[in-house]
Amino acid sequence: MKPIITFARWGNYTIAFKTLFEQLGLEVIPPEKTTSETIAEGARIAPEMYCFPMKVTLGNYLPALKKGANTIFMVQNVGGSCRQRYYGVIQEKVLKEAGHDINFLDFRAAPKDIYSTIKKISGASLLQILRAGRFFFKKLHLIEKIEKLAQFYRPREIEKGTADKILTDSLLKIEKADKEKDFSRIKKEILKRFSGIKIEKNKDLPRIALVGEIYTVCDPTINFEVERKLGLEGIEVHREMDITYHLKKLIFPWKDWIIQRKINPYLRSTVGGHGRDAIYEMLHYIEEDFDGIIHLLPMACMPEVTIRPILEKLHQESGIPFLSLSLDEQVAEAGVDTRLEAFVDLIKNYHNQKNSYIRNSQEV
Amino acid sequence: MTIGIPRALVYWKRPHFWETFFEELGFKVLLSPSTNKEIVEMGVKVADPETCFSNKVYFGHLIWLDYSPPAVPKCDFIFVPRLKATEEKLEYCPKFFGLPDLGKILVKTPILTENFDERKEKFEKTLKRLGGKLNKNRGEIKKAQELAFLKEKEFKKKEKQEFSLKIQSKKPKIVLISHPYNLYDDYVNLRMKEKLEKLGAEPIFVDEVPNPKCDRSPFLMGWVAQPFLKGCGEILNKSQIPNLNWPKFHWEFGNEIMEKIQRILSYNIAGVIEISSFGCGCDAVIKEFVEKTFKENKIPFLYLMIDEQAGEAGIQTRLEAFMDTI
Repeated sequence: MKPIITFARWGNYTIAFKTLFEQLGLEVIPPEKTTSETIAEGARIAPEMYCFPMKVTLGNYLPALKKGANTIFMVQNVGGSCRQRYYGVIQEKVLKEAGHDINFLDFRAAPKDIYSTIKKISGASLLQILRAGRFFFKKLHLIEKIEKLAQFYRPREIEKGTADKILTDSLLKIEKADKEKDFSRIKKEILKRFSGIKIEKNKDLPRIALVGEIYTVCDPTINFEVERKLGLEGIEVHREMDITYHLKKLIFPWKDWIIQRKINPYLRSTVGGHGRDAIYEMLHYIEEDFDGIIHLLPMACMPEVTIRPILEKLHQESGIPFLSLSLDEQVAEAGVDTRLEAFVDLIKNYHNQKNSYIRNSQEV
Repeated sequence: MTIGIPRALVYWKRPHFWETFFEELGFKVLLSPSTNKEIVEMGVKVADPETCFSNKVYFGHLIWLDYSPPAVPKCDFIFVPRLKATEEKLEYCPKFFGLPDLGKILVKTPILTENFDERKEKFEKTLKRLGGKLNKNRGEIKKAQELAFLKEKEFKKKEKQEFSLKIQSKKPKIVLISHPYNLYDDYVNLRMKEKLEKLGAEPIFVDEVPNPKCDRSPFLMGWVAQPFLKGCGEILNKSQIPNLNWPKFHWEFGNEIMEKIQRILSYNIAGVIEISSFGCGCDAVIKEFVEKTFKENKIPFLYLMIDEQAGEAGIQTRLEAFMDTI
C-alpha cells in the first residue's frame, strides 16, 4: 500500500506542513478546510465530552480520507498534562470504528521519534529530511510574519480590505512555491506588496490582545476570524501564540522559568497546556497598557478553564476590558459577532476615556 | 488553632489520613459536612461555569469553611493540598494543580498548602515540610504521620474484608466505576449505592478492588519475584493480559482503573456502571477504553453523567431499566 498522507489541519500553517511532506517525496492530500459541515461531521463520530480541536481535526480528515488518503500524521504531547496527547489514540479508535482502513502515525514531539517515524514512512535520507525541514521552517516563518503584518495593516489601511486580499494572495503563492531556490524571491515580492499598502500614519488606535489556547487562537477558521473582524473595526490585534513560539518553548526551557517567576503571585504551578502562558501574557499586556484582552478557548479545555478565574481576577484588579469566548460545535457565528461588537464599543470607549484622562492631566 | 478540610475532591484521595495527621499534630480539625444541596449551590455560584462538577462541589465546601467579615472565622487555615504526581510518576488531574490558587481567590481564610510531587521528593518529606510550616518539630510530625498511615491501613483492611464478603454474595454484582470523590460522596452520586441495593443488586466500587501492584514493580523485580509469590495469586502480570488495548495513561487513575478492570473481568459480574461528573476531561478519554473493554466482553455497560441538575427520578428510571436488562 502506497502511503497517501493527510494530517491535522492548523489554520494557515497547514500550507507549511503540506510542503514538509511533499518535500519528503510523499503523496499528500491536505485536510479539508474547516467549515461548519466538517465540524458537524467530526463531532458526530467523536466522543461527546472531548475537547473541540479534536473534533475539528477529525472532521478535517474525513473528506481527505474519502479522496483516498490512507495515512494520518498526528503529533502528541504538545502541552504537558492536557488531553492533547490522547488525540491520536482516540482518533484512530474512532476512525477505525467508523470503518476507515487507515494507518495512524501517532508520535511524540521528540526529535528522535519524529525522525524515526518519517524515515519509516518515506525512506528519505537524513539530508533530504533536513532540507525539507529547513524549507518547512522558512515557509512557516513567512506565514507567521505576514499574519503579523496583516494585523498591523488592517486597521491602518486607507482602502479597507487590501491587507486581507494581499494576505490571501500571498498564502496561495506560498502554497504553490515548491522549490526552495525561488522562495527568497517570492518572499521579497510578498513583503514588497505589503509595504506598498497605503496607510494613515500616526493613527491613535485601540489595541487588543488575543490570549488563550494555541489552536483556537491561531486558526482563523474556527475562531470566526476574530483577528480580521477586529482589524477592520479599526483595532490593532496582537497575539504571541504561534507555532514558532510553541517550538521555542519546547526546545528552550527558560521561557517557562521566566513565565513562572512572573506569575508566582497568581499561580504557583503548571496546569498543563498553555495555561500559564495566558496569565503571563495578560500580565504583560496590562503592563503595556492595552485596551482589551480576548481569551479564546475550546469548550471545557482543562488548562484554560482552570486559569480563567485568575484571568477574571486580573481583569477586576486592573479594570482592563476582558472577554472570554469558549468555542465548540454549537457556537454560532452570529452569537460571537454580537458579543464582539459589544466588546469593540466597550474597548473604544475605554480607549477614548483613558486618552482624555491623560490629556486632561497634562493640561492641568 | 483550627484547620479546615473540605470534604470533597482531593480529600477522598486519602480519606481519614489528613484529619488524623492534623489531630495528632495537636490541631483542631474542622471537616466540612458531607455534601448537601446548599453546598453544591454555593459552589456552582462561584465556580467557572465550564469547570467540572466535582470542582464546583469542592468550591462549595471551601465557601462553607470560609466566613463573611463580621462573623468570627470558622478556622485559622483551610488545607488545600496541591497533588501533582504519585510514586509511579503518574500525574493527577491538571485541575488539581491550580486548586490552592483558585481557593486563594475565593476565600478570605488563609490557605495552607504544599506541593505533593513524588517525582521530586517523597511523600514523607513533603509532610515534614508541611509540619514545619505549622511550627512542629520532626518527632511530632513523624509520630502523627505514622498514626495517620496506621489509621488509613485500618480502613483499607476493613474495606478488604467487606470486599471479600461482597464478592461471594449471590446477588447480581454491579461494579461502579468512577473517581473516589464521586463514589464515596453520597449526595454527588445521588445515593447510587443505596438505590442499587434496593433494586436487589450488590454494588462494588472499583476503588475497593485490590490493586495488582506487583505488576508495576520496577524493571525485573516482578519477574524475579514471581516464582516466590506464585502461591498468593495476587500477581497479574502484563504478559497475562493479551495485548493491552489501551494507551499508557499519564494519569494515576487511568492506569489504575484499566488494570482493575482486567481483574474485574474475572469476577463474574452482572453489569458495570460508570459515573462521570459533567465536564470531566479525563473521563472523556478513559470512558472510551472502559466501554470498549466491556463491550468486547459482552458485559452490560451504563454510562451516567452527573451534574448539579441531575434529578434523582431520572437516575432511578435508568437504573431500573438497566437492572431489567441484566
